[in-house]
Amino acid sequence: MTASHEIENRLRATAEKLLREKKVDLFLGYEKASLPFRTTPLLLTAAEEAGRLVWNSFCTVNLAVYLPRLFKAPADAREAKSATPPPKVGIVLKGCDARSVVALIQERQVPRENLVLVGIGCPGVVDAQKAEKTLGEHEALGAGEDAQGSIRAVVEDGTEITLYRQEVLADACLECRSPMPAICDLVLGGPVEAKETDAARRRAAEFESKPPDARWARFQEMISKCIRCNACRQACPMCYCKECLLDQTRPRLIGAGTDISDVTIYHLARALHTAGRCTECGACVRACPMGIDTRLLTRKLSLEAEDLYGYRAGQSADAIPLLSAFAMDDPQDFLTEPSHLPAASSSAQEAEQARRAK
Amino acid sequence: MTEKRISHTDLPRLLARLRERGPVHAPLEDETGDAVLTELSSDDLISLRYRNFRLSPKSFLLPQNQVLFRFQDGKEEEPALPDREMVVFGVRPCDAKAMQALDKVFLDGDQNDPYYARAREKTVVIALACTRPLSSCFCTSVGGGPGDGAGADVLALELDADLLLRALTPGGERLLSSVRDLLCDAAPSAVKEAEDRVRAAEEQIAPVKVDGSAQRLSNAYDSPLWASVSQKCLGCGTCSFLCPTCHCFDITDEVRGGTGRRVRTWDCCAYPLFTLHGSGHNPRPTPKERWRQRIMHKFRYAIENFGRPFCVGCGRCIRSCPVGMDIRTVLKEIGV
Amino acid sequence: MQFEGIMNQTQSVQQAASKQAWEPKIVAFLCNWCSYAGADLAGVSRIQYPCNVRVIRVPCSGRINPAFLLRALQNGADAVLVSGCHPGDCHYISGNLVARRKFALLKALLQYVGIEPERVQFTWVSASEGGRFAAIIEKVVEQVRKLGPNGRLAKRL
Repeated sequence: MTASHEIENRLRATAEKLLREKKVDLFLGYEKASLPFRTTPLLLTAAEEAGRLVWNSFCTVNLAVYLPRLFKAPADAREAKSATPPPKVGIVLKGCDARSVVALIQERQVPRENLVLVGIGCPGVVDAQKAEKTLGEHEALGAGEDAQGSIRAVVEDGTEITLYRQEVLADACLECRSPMPAICDLVLGGPVEAKETDAARRRAAEFESKPPDARWARFQEMISKCIRCNACRQACPMCYCKECLLDQTRPRLIGAGTDISDVTIYHLARALHTAGRCTECGACVRACPMGIDTRLLTRKLSLEAEDLYGYRAGQSADAIPLLSAFAMDDPQDFLTEPSHLPAASSSAQEAEQARRAK
Repeated sequence: MTEKRISHTDLPRLLARLRERGPVHAPLEDETGDAVLTELSSDDLISLRYRNFRLSPKSFLLPQNQVLFRFQDGKEEEPALPDREMVVFGVRPCDAKAMQALDKVFLDGDQNDPYYARAREKTVVIALACTRPLSSCFCTSVGGGPGDGAGADVLALELDADLLLRALTPGGERLLSSVRDLLCDAAPSAVKEAEDRVRAAEEQIAPVKVDGSAQRLSNAYDSPLWASVSQKCLGCGTCSFLCPTCHCFDITDEVRGGTGRRVRTWDCCAYPLFTLHGSGHNPRPTPKERWRQRIMHKFRYAIENFGRPFCVGCGRCIRSCPVGMDIRTVLKEIGV
Repeated sequence: MQFEGIMNQTQSVQQAASKQAWEPKIVAFLCNWCSYAGADLAGVSRIQYPCNVRVIRVPCSGRINPAFLLRALQNGADAVLVSGCHPGDCHYISGNLVARRKFALLKALLQYVGIEPERVQFTWVSASEGGRFAAIIEKVVEQVRKLGPNGRLAKRL
């Protein structure tokens, strides 16, 4: 595994060159944030400021979320006349983020030719909430990563505490199967291999082994904390609709408050709308201020997409999106078939029998 | 204003006595170990080890989901407003001060919000002074402090073995006198020690330049910096929902056939749809306009209208922002 | 005065209705070209089937957003049924084939969180299959009657 500060240096050099040579108008990356265990997105336009870019295990945001807004098509012909041409954008991507970009390309939200994709094999990122919790009573005033990837935090009384990486990695990273970006123009750093490739399947199976009543109870308990802030949706690169169906008022689909029925429908509908598009990056979980594990639902749908249709989101920019495609022999064992036919008029019955005979 | 004293071991008895008069909400640890203000039942053990709660206590006065009235077949029914006094114990000074800010909005004397007014009237707030601020705290820069009791009825100050209690309002005095048999007078040395701890906490809080924000912001309305400071914002709503002073709300009717209810829910000015007109026009179409509005509201309009910023320096927005935006950095970059 | 009289009457009808035993309420989304025509054929042929179904006509089963089905359940439907043309016969060529994938995922997700799988049902009914439509309704109504009222997803106002 290439040390993160080495990759950081290469990243800064790459961004500086791309901006200086005007291969990109804007470079999307990360810079230091004001609190430990975090970085903050940087939309860099000046080549000489490339030194602000960082690369470490705190680069958690899925930067693909900024792409749809950079490439919004003009609303009408009049706007089109005065619109500036779409920018050329460089972006640094972990494995999951790169798949989100591919999914956006598949859905025609961003033009491939305007993107310079700088990929980095990702060994996992730290969940700031988990890290803070591990410190218990202490508050980290600074945190960093050493060459071996251990996380070191300096707390308020000056002592340095080493955090066990497995304990503070984001949940999504513990189940990651695609640490290497699927599609990119350059790769910085060496290859990274996925470790627990069936972790997601095991988690889903574990939940499914509970009886239905227990599953429902656990699901309701988990989402009862939801305050309907919509952070999960806004952090998701695939939720780019100008007006979300769940915000629509004419007609209104769900209420705006925290009635448990509305919260339930919100989460089920959002999971279904991202089915086959979600790349399991975990941005939703990390964005949630209440610590809800929204991936409980999306994990299941991603596995179903794979099992039923052999489809994984964001693998290939030419693939037709899951729910725009079909095969004649797609499974349909879930259909309802009548157990018997009632006595009907003879012509209808004959027609029915003839049809079945075909 | 003599300080009273109760030992930590006797505190559960005080809370149990208060529970005889009405609901008492105090910090309990949930299954993940976070402190949450929860209604106490008999055996609950409170924990005072928290810095602050994830959610602000504003939901006691302005719930996220509030039914204003119900209707069925032409008949209207308003839910009963609370008539028992409720005690909320353990509110941090920043959150108590925020309640004062909300009072300015909802209790302006002319058009009091009846739901808020009743809740405020029936809620007794016992604030707990801070001795261990977080690096994201900046209450001292916005007119508050770790030992500031404004907005609360009683201020509690922690010592190793005891809790000191100071009544700040007639309601607070009534509360303390109702349990006076459980309390002793606090010795002046104890009061001094408690105040020293608060002062030590104050010194740990890094100052943020906010003075003169109203004037500087009015000069900065057309600054090109607004676009760059706001471009990372996802419009996720976390900051407003967790903020103890944010109070924007939406009112919707939920109807099925002849039955329904009118509900007030929290809203957020950072949402892209917040100012979307029926015509389709949106006067705040990008994060730039929305962030400008957020900062202006908190650090200029609030000062011009109410004489105080609508920020208490609790730092929740800083800690919870999914993209690490920091309101202190924004203020600095925009030139406040 | 007149208004109050009407309101009182409505209330007494509702009270009478609520005293009767619970009957499953099923919302059926039928595609205009095949299933709706099939249901119509059942009616024209005087085939008797349970009256627990409320029909919503859609142009194609592919038009249905899973959010509609969730909304119907939230509104108090005890079950939803979606019916479209047989694969290969869709009036819009492939709408039902895309729908088939959406519904497979919806059913898998609802089952995963503990909703009874019989509350969301899918089927193909052609325009000539009046008897089949009736038989399917009978089966669905019986299955849902055994499940009982939809408590989990219904919203109480």
